[in-house]
Amino acid sequence: MVLLQTRNLGMEYDGKPVLRGIDLDLAEGELKVVMGPSGCGKSTLLRCLNRLVTPTSGQIIFRDEDVTRPDTDVRALRQRIGFVFQNFALYRHLSVLDNVTLGLRKLRGMPLGEAVERAKHELRRMDMVEHHHKYPAQLSGGQKQRVAIARALAMDPAVLFFDEPTSALDPLMSREIINVINQLRRDNVSMLCVTHDLFLARSVGGRVLFLDQGVIHAEGDAEQLFGNHSDPRIRAFFSQEAGNQ
Amino acid sequence: MNDWIAFFQQVMNFGPQIMAGLGNTLLLAAIITVTGLVGGIVVFYLSLSHNRLCRKLTEGYISFFIGTPLIALLFLMYYGLPQWGVRLSPLLVAVIGFTMNVAAYNARYLMTAYRGLDQDELEAARAQGFSSLQVFRLITLPQVLRLSIPALSNQVILNLKDSSVAFLIQYTEFFAQVQDFAVRNFQFFKAYLMAGLVYLALVSVIVIASRWLERRLILPGVRPL
Repeated sequence: MVLLQTRNLGMEYDGKPVLRGIDLDLAEGELKVVMGPSGCGKSTLLRCLNRLVTPTSGQIIFRDEDVTRPDTDVRALRQRIGFVFQNFALYRHLSVLDNVTLGLRKLRGMPLGEAVERAKHELRRMDMVEHHHKYPAQLSGGQKQRVAIARALAMDPAVLFFDEPTSALDPLMSREIINVINQLRRDNVSMLCVTHDLFLARSVGGRVLFLDQGVIHAEGDAEQLFGNHSDPRIRAFFSQEAGNQ
Repeated sequence: MNDWIAFFQQVMNFGPQIMAGLGNTLLLAAIITVTGLVGGIVVFYLSLSHNRLCRKLTEGYISFFIGTPLIALLFLMYYGLPQWGVRLSPLLVAVIGFTMNVAAYNARYLMTAYRGLDQDELEAARAQGFSSLQVFRLITLPQVLRLSIPALSNQVILNLKDSSVAFLIQYTEFFAQVQDFAVRNFQFFKAYLMAGLVYLALVSVIVIASRWLERRLILPGVRPL
């Protein structure tokens, strides 16, 4: 069953096209990876999909509902989408536990005790429950990212968006996050991951979309795209990224 | 030595008036600290508005009140408004005048702290589904207030010291009473020295309290401004 679809999605910024004619389908429980060079529109695509920015054309269908309509309850939509940021974006004035419970209490109106139970469950799942009293500045990058994932999962989202989840991490910590994504995949969590990390894309499997200059140029299995693709742009990107790693 | 004993005797005789003045000083300083902080938070919130006009108006407000001498505003309200039939008590004029002035300074401190905030946190909060007001109340404000503790504490000290200006609009605060005492007893040097020491003692209490607050509220890895 299709969870999220875009039809001819476009986005312009100051009259300059950032995304053009994006057609994307994400099924329930599916993982898709969007790859492409820096500035190709990957992060903008995610921000369009949860309406942090407003697309200038096309449609986004979320569970059979057109969420590009002007009367869309954007905040309700965002609450159904978990978003994990490149730089973790944990609230630094709150402890790990409070980072995870804040949304449950203030958005879902959950009583404190229940919110704490739920938060601890997600932190346990991310192997972070023993750090629940710490503040973000006291955690490593990998730990912060696991807390960010727990914070997103606690809201019981329909889909998780990852925006370059490993780019601020060293290889060891990246591996931790890849393990977490694989674990979520086994749990049938729907995920859309934007990255230029070839190792991540290869390790988590899933379909890969290649985005360049705001246009999706190819979609396929990771190995199919990483191999000797007929499109010279795709070949150039993957050989350059392989060289960087 | 005998001079000082005589001086303290005179101070004791004038004690009720001086204590009443001190009470008025503390009352005014306490009120404008609270109203100035609340006003500063409101102006700061408006300065983050998506509405360009609103941002311009708040910037104009801040520039006007930081750029205008407080005494001019107090005189305008206390001596100028009666010409239009509006008479306000000295305390009310002092509270309104100081609040508008202090709010402008506090808003500026909060805006400076806001520039040190991680904008990704604010985007993460919006992405989670929080409204603009919730983002402000739950994420922005708790952080900028913590970051601004040293600057806001300095403003509390200024509130206390500057409250003596209210003496010029007939508000009988501490300095006004000391002035009265000095004139009546021809003890100018000793009286003003005593006033200075009393202000210093009160400021020291504020400094100690602000350092305690800073230690209690400081976050790991976050340096206040």
